Amino acid sequence: MNPVLRTEGLRKAFGGIVVSDNVNLSIASGEILGLIGPNGAGKTSLFNLISGVLRPDGGSIFLNGERIDSTPLYKRARMGIARTWQNMLLFRTMTVLDNLLVGPRDYPGESVMRLAFGRGALRAAEAAMRNRAMGILGRMGLEQTANSLVVDLPFGQQKLIGLARTLMNDGPLLLLDEPMAGVEGAAYETMQRVVRQEAESGRAVCVVEHNVSFIRDLCSRAVFMANGKILQDGSVEELIASDILTELYFGV
Amino acid sequence: MDYLVTIAVLIAIYTILASSYNLVIGYGGLSTVAHPIFFAIGAYTTGLLAVHVPFIPPVGNVVLGMAAAVVASVLLAGSALRVSGDYLLIASLGFQLGLLQLLKNLEFTGGPGGLSAIPSTIVGPMRGPLFLAICGAAALACVFAVRTIVNGPYGRAISAMRDEELAFTALGRNAMSMKIAIFAIGCGMAGGAGGLYAYYFQYLSPDQFDVLASAAILTMVVLGGMGTAFGPVVGAILLLAIPQAITFLQLPPAIMAPTQGIIFTVLVLLFLYLRPSGILGGKA
Repeated sequence: MNPVLRTEGLRKAFGGIVVSDNVNLSIASGEILGLIGPNGAGKTSLFNLISGVLRPDGGSIFLNGERIDSTPLYKRARMGIARTWQNMLLFRTMTVLDNLLVGPRDYPGESVMRLAFGRGALRAAEAAMRNRAMGILGRMGLEQTANSLVVDLPFGQQKLIGLARTLMNDGPLLLLDEPMAGVEGAAYETMQRVVRQEAESGRAVCVVEHNVSFIRDLCSRAVFMANGKILQDGSVEELIASDILTELYFGV
Repeated sequence: MDYLVTIAVLIAIYTILASSYNLVIGYGGLSTVAHPIFFAIGAYTTGLLAVHVPFIPPVGNVVLGMAAAVVASVLLAGSALRVSGDYLLIASLGFQLGLLQLLKNLEFTGGPGGLSAIPSTIVGPMRGPLFLAICGAAALACVFAVRTIVNGPYGRAISAMRDEELAFTALGRNAMSMKIAIFAIGCGMAGGAGGLYAYYFQYLSPDQFDVLASAAILTMVVLGGMGTAFGPVVGAILLLAIPQAITFLQLPPAIMAPTQGIIFTVLVLLFLYLRPSGILGGKA
């Protein structure tokens, strides 16, 4: 089967610091890939390269076989690369529902021309988007927060809203940057369930996470990175059995 | 009577300026000070066409003035909006000062003496009221156009861009083209206001488009309530009516001139302390 995402020999350096050193990675539809490694290993940089925040120094990136490494960030999102952020980057002055409504890949209302002509079609599109957003909030049990400002919600719920906004992009690839950091209790369960459902619906999912039990419960495959290099790529069991993780987290 | 009509026309024209400036700086978060220069571009384009190309109807001249302001704004935006914050402020200031020097030194714009003898399009006793009706309608249209833009889906996208540009872009939105669009719409409105100004006053002086004008429009927006649809209207009325009201006190000129300056300064300081989000803005 063709992978949804494939990188070939991806390279990126900031001065002397190499954040991506010949990275070859592929993620298939329906797969949840865990990306693990110490701080500064280049995990978030890899997300930035794939989503288009950073331009690679060399190598190539393919989304469903199409080469995208010189495509700008916003166009890659429209092609279906949806991502979350370590520090969420929610729209702080806006309500939860409005945060989600900025999420869809294509939105007719955001054109001055459409604003002037064709407001009927606009209303229909707006209603459809609203339904979709409420559906996603419903899956997370957050319907009642729809009209709250995001800054008024507890941290765990904000993390979920970050995911919900990203899910408004219904593209084939989902990149989650530390979705579980600081999340516990009910939000933890919800996060896990929703990510699993997304993969079951056919999306390719890649998760950067320090929480090993989250990776073990969720991922079929795991990649270990350090100093911009992929050191191991295999099943989660293999990774846990190897010395690499023990060295990383216990220093033995 | 004529005097009151003139004040009312000025209020209408400044309502357009403040309202469109509010779109750019209050909603769009684009910190530019160059708004009066787009007012000038519209005014001079309309004025020069009215003087030299008599066969274009007045409405056409005003539209061409708007178009000139839009073109100039896109040219500035293409380079200056790549930077933001303080850099944009400096770039816009440079643009304003540079163009102002051109207006003052080119022969065909009338130089420092200004452009005069712009033909009067409407004559007779109804001139004032007619102009007031036209300018008032334009101001209303402008306020409601801004309100339509910032409410609903487009406005949602604008606030999202202002809150977190990176996340906004990564959701598939082209922040750059959105900024250029907001800037062009705002500056085009200012250009239109310039055209109306040229026809009503029939005389343009480069000094009225300098940095003091930037400060006046900014004060209107801040006092009225930045980022509120009707705040700039309140600001424009207050800032134009108060100085006129003072003239009715019939103070000697030596006291009068500084009094206006003092009142503005005191107003701005009071608002910064007591109500930083303006008259119509929510309590901060």
